[in-house]
Amino acid sequence: MAATFITLTIGLPWLGALVVWVAGDQRPRAQHALAVVFAVAGGLSGLALLTTTSSAVAIRLPVGGAFGDFTFVADGLGVFLAVVATVIGSLAVIFSVEYMKGEAQLGRYYAFVLLFIGAMAGLALTGSLLLLFFFWEVTALTSYALISFHNDDPKAVAGGIKALIITQLGGVGLLAGALLIYAHLGSYEISAFLAGADALPADLRAIIAFGFLIAAAAKSAQAPFHTWLPDAMEAPTPVSALIHAATMVNAGVYLLARFFPAFEAVPGWTTAVALVGVVTALLAACMAIVANDLKRVLAYSTVSQLGYMVFAIGCGSALASQFHLFSHAVFKALLFLGAGAVIHAIGTRDMQQMGGLGKHMPLVRVVFVIGAGALAGIPPLNGFWSKELVLEEGLAHGPLWGYIGMLIGAGLTAFYTARMVWLVFYGEPRGHYHTHDARPAMAVPLVLLAAGTLTTWLLFGPFSALLAGAVPGLHEESTLAFVSKVVTDPATLLALAVVALGLLAWQQRSRLSGIAAGLRALGQAAAQGFGFEAVNRFVARITQSAATALQRTQTGELNWNAAGIAGALIIVLIILAGGGIR
Amino acid sequence: MALHPFLWLILIPVLASPVVYLAGRLAGAAMARWLAFLTLAVTGAPFALAAQDLAANGAATFTLGLVKLKFDGLSLLLAALALGLGACVTLFSNAYMRGEAGEEKYYAALLAMIGVIVGLGCANDLFNLWIWFEAMAVASYMLVAFYRDQPASLEAGVKYLVQSAVGSVLVMLGIAAVFGATGQLSLQSIAVAAQASATQASAVGLLAAGALMTVGFGVKAALVPLHTWLPDAHSQAPSGISAMLSGVVIEAGLIALLRAVAPLLGEGDAGARFGQLLLLFAALNMILGNLLALKQTQVKRMLAFSSLSHVGYMLLGFGVAAYTGQAAAAQGGVFHMLSHGLMKGLAFLAAGALLYTLYVANGAHGPLTVSDLNGAARRYPLAALALGIAVLGLAGLPPLVGFMSKWQIFVGGFQAGDTLAALLVIFAALNSVLSLTYYAPLVNAMYRRQTSDAVRRGRAMPLTMVIPLVVMSILVVALGMWPALVEGLTGPASLALVAGK
Repeated sequence: MAATFITLTIGLPWLGALVVWVAGDQRPRAQHALAVVFAVAGGLSGLALLTTTSSAVAIRLPVGGAFGDFTFVADGLGVFLAVVATVIGSLAVIFSVEYMKGEAQLGRYYAFVLLFIGAMAGLALTGSLLLLFFFWEVTALTSYALISFHNDDPKAVAGGIKALIITQLGGVGLLAGALLIYAHLGSYEISAFLAGADALPADLRAIIAFGFLIAAAAKSAQAPFHTWLPDAMEAPTPVSALIHAATMVNAGVYLLARFFPAFEAVPGWTTAVALVGVVTALLAACMAIVANDLKRVLAYSTVSQLGYMVFAIGCGSALASQFHLFSHAVFKALLFLGAGAVIHAIGTRDMQQMGGLGKHMPLVRVVFVIGAGALAGIPPLNGFWSKELVLEEGLAHGPLWGYIGMLIGAGLTAFYTARMVWLVFYGEPRGHYHTHDARPAMAVPLVLLAAGTLTTWLLFGPFSALLAGAVPGLHEESTLAFVSKVVTDPATLLALAVVALGLLAWQQRSRLSGIAAGLRALGQAAAQGFGFEAVNRFVARITQSAATALQRTQTGELNWNAAGIAGALIIVLIILAGGGIR
Repeated sequence: MALHPFLWLILIPVLASPVVYLAGRLAGAAMARWLAFLTLAVTGAPFALAAQDLAANGAATFTLGLVKLKFDGLSLLLAALALGLGACVTLFSNAYMRGEAGEEKYYAALLAMIGVIVGLGCANDLFNLWIWFEAMAVASYMLVAFYRDQPASLEAGVKYLVQSAVGSVLVMLGIAAVFGATGQLSLQSIAVAAQASATQASAVGLLAAGALMTVGFGVKAALVPLHTWLPDAHSQAPSGISAMLSGVVIEAGLIALLRAVAPLLGEGDAGARFGQLLLLFAALNMILGNLLALKQTQVKRMLAFSSLSHVGYMLLGFGVAAYTGQAAAAQGGVFHMLSHGLMKGLAFLAAGALLYTLYVANGAHGPLTVSDLNGAARRYPLAALALGIAVLGLAGLPPLVGFMSKWQIFVGGFQAGDTLAALLVIFAALNSVLSLTYYAPLVNAMYRRQTSDAVRRGRAMPLTMVIPLVVMSILVVALGMWPALVEGLTGPASLALVAGK
């Protein structure tokens, strides 16, 4: 059965991509309907996979040669991510019916969204390193295509290409790691690597481990590769919700969780992972505080929350990272789609132009506040429980500086979340708009996701059982035991106090203006992206000037060209006669 | 006549060439157009037979007097590429070249070039290798400088002619040096003699010969810095010919290079040294090709420069194979020849189809610039999609064939267990990322809503142009999903290459 469901979970969205494209842009109603049908069908078959999890290879297609076997495995860890991709994917597609109404080139939009959903499911379900990289790159391709969906907007084009280039650069780390593994084990099987990692030479394992970390950091927008995600916000909002909040950016966290058992023993690796997580969480939270673009605030908060997940892995807890991933996928998709409803209604993303929208959009305000509460870590929403788990694991198994950093991060999160909610929905209107509340196609996903935000933490027991079958050393724990552990832990109180402090700080912001002035330098640095953008620009400039300089050597004069041939002959002679390059 | 089917592969196109010319002169150009396509379609039959025979009985030979032809895996691969791409180009040119002065010459020269390339793949001694190679060059000169009224086209033709001639002279000197040192011309005999002469004075002659032939053939294979003719020739030629030049001719030059130099290497570290040399060229080709393509505003010129970087990938595969004796890397190089032929052929044909509808059909010859492509997808969805698939495949994105062929090269590089090879693979991967910086904006431009003036004025795209684009696009995707489909071509080809040493 697993084989059938895997095929359907990947194949249905991909088939849908083809069908929607063939249907043609002159039939938008059919395109909307077909996209929803295929996405929901993919989501259902993803859910069906939950019943057939197993660590055994479910599909094996021998390709031979340098390509090995294409394998698919439906274990708990993979199925979980596939479910997130396909279920949130179908909600995003349903939302798109309203959001994208009247847009041109719908075929291209839906084709890439469906292609993405299938590729994300494939990434999660494959057992082959080659296919892992294959799907990894397909998701990058679709992300690029969708960020720059509005190709006439230079910002959208630049954002798409930037996302593609940075994730591809990081992807080289995954490529090199996968090739090293194959060269030494003669197999692309992930399970074979996890089993045989101890037999690899230590230096080799370290190279693989850090290569994977680079790839994961680039994909999951961790420092210093995080700069692409805020610029990716030029994408249509359902795409931001699906790809740049709920699923693709989780691929890096998934990669780290999947390979953690093999890299745990590499000296310095877990510390490096934790450090990346803490630094990213704090930097991004600072940037979220000063940003005024609603989607960018959400993007920075995504980067920051991904930092929590990465930190959890650095502390050795795949469960905490994946549980926070689960909560975050739900509440961040909710926040993005809620933001999408706002942006769709008023036509701007600038929070300084908003204010007082709650009166006109009561439903959106309710669901958005629920999502924001989860982001800030307010009980009993799902974000509270998973963040507590991350913090407790950090305190128990991680470095102390990491725990303290993450606590501060929790306070900052509460602060910027309160600011965002206030600027959008409360206070006096700062612009003149004729607004309307979310229409049904938008309301359905919003309500479902809000319900999820309220309840998914109750699934902790089954969730831990699902992962226990896939992650070595993980044990099933009942929801009740988990809840009572969190509630009785004094650290929980500390975390709640910090969150309350963050909320209080926003409420008392006028009295804190002295401190704010003192932090202005920090704020300015945050607004400038802490210098990481400057690095990007520097690299781009170097490349461009190298190209310009080289262009001058191409004179197009026949004499020089012939001289080039003669020169090459001399050099070749010297190399061949001189005993090689080394 | 009981000739082996592989001989028909050479004979049919070569013999049909004058017939097509005469038919075109006597019965009108339409006759030449369709007869040329028919010829290549008919050649499919002996191709299938020859492939079957090769799979069943191994390499076949044919001897006529002193001339010996040998049809092995590498010959099959080159034949597949030349005939397959040639058929697509012929169909494509049906509308593209319609009404050009000397249309019948175009088809005659194209057929001759295809037949000669197949022959080049079968050459089994140095002298014949050179003859086929020169014949290929002669056919291609005419095609590069086909637009004889355009100065740019003529300039490209002259550069191509002069630099190729310089290369030919070097090859000739190299052959003389080999003959002087060994008294042999047959590739097998040279290999035997080279083994024996490893310690003698004749080794100096062989070394000089290796250098001369590397550089001489390297001109046609566009090794940097011997490449300077390529950007002009590939961008000024009629688009179908651009596809042939980038997709087949430079690959044929590379095969000639490898075939000619491999027997000289013998045992010992000569092979490793030659491998290092190829790796050096690989690095130069990749980085220079990409950086130079980065600044191009004309689509065909950009594609021409990108061919340099793709020769670099092939050299990486072959260099690692020679350097460390990894058959997997050689197979990757061979696969990339095929995949580059397919993708770059598609890219040039798709760009050509747009050039045709936007300019040629309106009686203009202006270069197709990237900004001309703005909004092309709205009017020409299939051509835009094909060009998008081709360039993203060239950049190595899945699920397109470029991903798989690069992967195979990279696997070979890492399996070598050598730091230099592994670092070069990473360098190659970074180069693929770099190439996205010029491919991606091209794709973005095509999917804009605002159309360029050129697109607004563009004519309808004829069906004979769309068909090759669709066929090749499907192949690019299918092979990207399931690379085992061409295992039967690339496997024997790499074995033949390794065995040549």
